Amino acid sequence: MAWYNTAGKHADTVISTRVRLARNLNGYPFASKLDAAGANEIIEKVSAPLESAGFRKIHFSDLSPVMATSYVERHYVSPEFATKESPHALLLQEPLGIAVMVCEEDHLRIQSILPGLALEEAYKNAQQTEKRLDEDFDFAYSEELGYLTHCPTNLGTGMRASVMMFLPALTRGGYMDSLAAQLSKIGLAVRGLFGEGSGAAGCMYQISNQITLGITEEDTLKKLKEAVKQITEKEHYARKSIQGEARDRLTDRILRSEGLLKHAFLMSSSEFIKLYADVRFGIALGIVQDVSYEQLGSLLVETMPATLTLSSESTPKTETARDKLRAQRIKLALNHTGTPE
Amino acid sequence: MLCETCKKRTATVFYNENINGKTRSYSLCGECAAKLREKGELQDITSMIGSFADPFSTLQDDLFGGFFGIPTSLHLSSQKKCPSCSCTYDQISKEGKVGCPQCYTTFRDELSRLIASVHGTTSHVGSVPARHRAKRERDLRLQELTAQLQNAIQAEQYEQAATLRDEIRKLKEQAQKEVE
Repeated sequence: MAWYNTAGKHADTVISTRVRLARNLNGYPFASKLDAAGANEIIEKVSAPLESAGFRKIHFSDLSPVMATSYVERHYVSPEFATKESPHALLLQEPLGIAVMVCEEDHLRIQSILPGLALEEAYKNAQQTEKRLDEDFDFAYSEELGYLTHCPTNLGTGMRASVMMFLPALTRGGYMDSLAAQLSKIGLAVRGLFGEGSGAAGCMYQISNQITLGITEEDTLKKLKEAVKQITEKEHYARKSIQGEARDRLTDRILRSEGLLKHAFLMSSSEFIKLYADVRFGIALGIVQDVSYEQLGSLLVETMPATLTLSSESTPKTETARDKLRAQRIKLALNHTGTPE
Repeated sequence: MLCETCKKRTATVFYNENINGKTRSYSLCGECAAKLREKGELQDITSMIGSFADPFSTLQDDLFGGFFGIPTSLHLSSQKKCPSCSCTYDQISKEGKVGCPQCYTTFRDELSRLIASVHGTTSHVGSVPARHRAKRERDLRLQELTAQLQNAIQAEQYEQAATLRDEIRKLKEQAQKEVE
């Protein structure tokens, strides 16, 4: 089952966890200087051991733009990877949430994505895949600087660990800016889920490590885990402090959002994100009881434009047609007995 | 890299200010940056981070464009080319990325300041690839044996010192063979 179809630990504040390791092969220049022949050679070399370990190889150069975008929507590849022109491939083991981007910014970006808070497990998954490749390949490495990467910001462990948090009470309370400033002081970064400026809409934020040199993988994970714990405490405190009339107004808003999700005939993706955040908040507060995190979680991916288009037998040609299809999918997922119109 | 104001804490805030064409770079710790912000001497960059811009891209632009935009640094390295990928330091500072693993050796001096600015250090302490693990373990063993040898000599335990010396010699020969 894919990571987005299940909830995981601490689902009230954490949506997913991702760990990625950047690795490069000695004997080849980095991506910006790598020609097509070199890229194809690397793809062939690393595919063999991974395919025999159960990974599926997807040549991105052969994919249609909509198919390539659907992998971005499932968080298996970066938007830059999906639109790249030179040869690049994805090796995917979807049930374990392990995705290896070959010839992205670095030759290898080994990633593990899991639902809920699962830093150790995600690191273990990525590390096991990395070890398999470490046996066969000579990774670019120096004793002083660690794993050598295209961009000096990834030197050292080459590891970026990130936790996708759901922080509606801190967002509504206007605490996110100061939280981001505090986290940056301890070497952690905060980003909105859907890119720049999008954090507030879905109340979803990626918290990740900035520093990769001079700190071990284990200490990085510990630091991030501790930060997530403290942010969770702050979020819980902020949730509890919504009392009296403010609570009534919030309850009304959440139930109206649930009603819209379950009954609207047309639904744009930006409206969906706002309503999604309200209903997810409602589940966490016990206000919404007949919708689960799993039902909502899968919608986060399934209602995205490319995934939605691919799931339909006839491609929706207009925005209205897509919004209609989106509303139908949401209805189907949230009303167990509902039938699409 | 230490904070330029207090010279005690690690610098975590990097900022370029451009007033009437004159660029001034700051490398500050969080506390000193906050103090300057309160005094109004530094633009409040927390609002920029709060707007969810990619802090990495901002940081890189600041570092490459700021610190390494200094003419003296460029002058020293502009003629040098990486023997492996022909990259120059001008290209590296323009793109924010190096051309190949060898670039880190070729432009070691130029890059070390940048690396220290980003990470606060230039020494890796994390995991090691299988091919380097044996060497690392041997280096650690050599350090340990050398210390033991010193102790044995001081304690006038010459028989033990001879055994240790042989073991050290064997490890060094092994290392030499691998280099060849």
